[in-house]
Amino acid sequence: MGSDIRFGWTGAIGSVILGATRSEGGTRKISYRVGGGTTLPFLDHAPASSPLVALEICDEPQYWPQIVRNYCGDLVDDVSAWATTAETVYGADLIRLYLTSTRQRNFSDIPLVGKAVEEVLSATGLPLIIEGSNEPGIDSEVFQKCGEAGEGERLLLGTAEAGRYRSIAAAALAYNHSIIAQSPIDINLAKQLNILLREIGIQQDHIMIDPYTGTLGYGFEYSYSAMERIRFSALKGDADLAMPMICSAIDSLTIKEVREADTAYQDEMAVAWEFYAGLAAAVAGAEIICVRHPKTVGRLKKAFTSLKTGSDPTGRI
Amino acid sequence: MALKALDIYKLLPKKNCKECGDPTCLTFAMKLAGGKADVDLCPHLDEQAKAVLGASTRPPIRLVKIGIGERSFAIGEEFVLYRHEKTFYHPPGIFFKVSDTQTMEEVSAVTKRVRDESFIRVGSDLRCNGIALENSSGTKEMFAAAVATVEKAADLPLVLISEKTESLFAALVHCGTYRPLLHAATKENFKEMCALAKHHDCPLVIKARGLEQLAQLAKECALEGVQDLVMDSSPQSLGEFITASTAIRQLAITRAMPDLGYPVFLDATGSDIQDAAIALGIVKYASVIVTAPLSEASAKAALTLRQNIYTDPQKPIQMNPGLYRVGTPGKDAPVLMTVNFSLTFFTLQGYLESTRIPCFMLVVDTEGLSVLTSVAAGKLNETLVRDALIRFGVENEVAHKKLIIPGYAAPLSGRIEEMTGWKVLVGPRDAAEIGEYLEQEWKK
Ligand code: SF4
Repeated sequence: MGSDIRFGWTGAIGSVILGATRSEGGTRKISYRVGGGTTLPFLDHAPASSPLVALEICDEPQYWPQIVRNYCGDLVDDVSAWATTAETVYGADLIRLYLTSTRQRNFSDIPLVGKAVEEVLSATGLPLIIEGSNEPGIDSEVFQKCGEAGEGERLLLGTAEAGRYRSIAAAALAYNHSIIAQSPIDINLAKQLNILLREIGIQQDHIMIDPYTGTLGYGFEYSYSAMERIRFSALKGDADLAMPMICSAIDSLTIKEVREADTAYQDEMAVAWEFYAGLAAAVAGAEIICVRHPKTVGRLKKAFTSLKTGSDPTGRI
Repeated sequence: MALKALDIYKLLPKKNCKECGDPTCLTFAMKLAGGKADVDLCPHLDEQAKAVLGASTRPPIRLVKIGIGERSFAIGEEFVLYRHEKTFYHPPGIFFKVSDTQTMEEVSAVTKRVRDESFIRVGSDLRCNGIALENSSGTKEMFAAAVATVEKAADLPLVLISEKTESLFAALVHCGTYRPLLHAATKENFKEMCALAKHHDCPLVIKARGLEQLAQLAKECALEGVQDLVMDSSPQSLGEFITASTAIRQLAITRAMPDLGYPVFLDATGSDIQDAAIALGIVKYASVIVTAPLSEASAKAALTLRQNIYTDPQKPIQMNPGLYRVGTPGKDAPVLMTVNFSLTFFTLQGYLESTRIPCFMLVVDTEGLSVLTSVAAGKLNETLVRDALIRFGVENEVAHKKLIIPGYAAPLSGRIEEMTGWKVLVGPRDAAEIGEYLEQEWKK
């Protein structure tokens, strides 16, 4: 008898392509095939891709955690420069642009949205995730605009929810983008939403699951297990859950522990909070980890590299 | 192979003498079958029965106690690979590493940090657990002196790290009765190590590369009479750790390799990204984690992750609807309506606590949906709000009729006012802005 830990799974996680290079019809320097795992994360024999790290940025920083402005300075007022820096200095694999400008009261300047997407596309060669509006009333126009502005670039559009997925799905279908499907930390609701999306024509390889990530200490325990369960069900063969997952513990930089930390080590606290949740989420099955503090990017990437090396799937080391 | 209760019963002495703590041999047999008791509790078993029962009835991962007194703790006795299958029971101990080549002041200062530092989150006191002392000097005199320094500063659980039995012997003169964890027995020195561990009744780490080698060493130590073992697979990378640790847990709980049924040791100082090793150890089955003294940020994040992973996952994600208090609100305190999705609740509660304005939170039953989703789905509506106001007797608690609703519920404000007769104030969308909102809108 050996110390073999193959679990006898038959399913596999599907994959989603993000970004398109010139030869693929876009203008990105790189594209990613996310997902494809056949066992628990980091136990893979094949060099399935490491989890990717996305830096979140926005086009209207008044809605962004103060701590990011403190660290990045005026950079946050220039979304193009912020995107370039995310790639060249912070080392992010992806950029997630939140169109926070749409949160201003009675926002109606839809062309502005398209402009922001175009600017970021030309400022970086990385694939993009675009977070549209937070206001159901303007969803349709906003997503339509984003989809159009990024045509050919295989964007990942966010975020579809159970009561609110039609506009985003329409934009994704029209311009061949993928979408983020978010459900409130519940494997059954995640599955239902995926089925709804399938029924309106979104292919499985155009969906990423966002099981909703509670910040460390604020619900992370639920998210961690929801992710493990989704991964486990997918490996057991449930095709409606076999999409790669994306995780963003977006409240990390505004919770009490970080906000009230001594200014001398507030950055360190913010990074620790994002890092511990991000690493644990990747171990539970998330393939894209989104963070907001630039310093978290490099730390997570280094950890993922160490996790990918030197492992032998038989358990003999 | 697990035995059934009846098969076990046949092997018991059938004296019904109650010495095992159970009323009858049969109830004891049932406990053994469920992995809930140890055969050693019955003093009347013959050796052969013990051997048969020992291997198949003890919990798949042995319970090992480290330290004595207030700060002592137990590790092991886990049953599942995923916390959602049941729960994880015994959180890993986190030990700050010091060396006997450091000054006594430094050693003492780190010890006092572990003794004193604590951090309160949702009602529990979170602390690191003990000191891991390394015999870097290689001399028994310096090791013994450092142990004496640690002991003088605090009664904390210890890990004593040395390959030299003479150093451990010298250290145990100072702390031998306090159940320190000894690190480590290897293929070369395990006989002497076992003799030491046995003499002082201490738990022992065994160290080998490769799971077969670990299992073999565990078996040999058990034959030497030491069963309180902890396993160090000495991983060379984080990837090796996660692979080995997952394999050990899986092979132990399925009893495919019962000799791996012991808690796992992880020295995070070996990793060039210590925080990664710690986080990984917490989520992936480490029971003893040794680290360099942590910064406040790393300590808080690590302890919070440990608390999260070791809470019972059956705890519902929905809050009970009701009227909750923040501080001691009076008759003029604001009332904030929110949904019963626990994350929304806890996030809002956190921000409200830091505003230091006492208030009421009226939690309505949206079946665990967030504000945005429940508004979109029509779950959150004026009837629900009216019923909650009545059911939880909000009118008797405050002397006003003003209700603050979440920003995303703004479309409902008119209808809520009509149906309830309360004046509705639309709060911010983002809970982070609630403090500012209350300062500006409520206080004026
Ligand atoms: S101690 Fe042994 S003999 Fe006595 S009741 Fe328990 S199992 Fe039976």
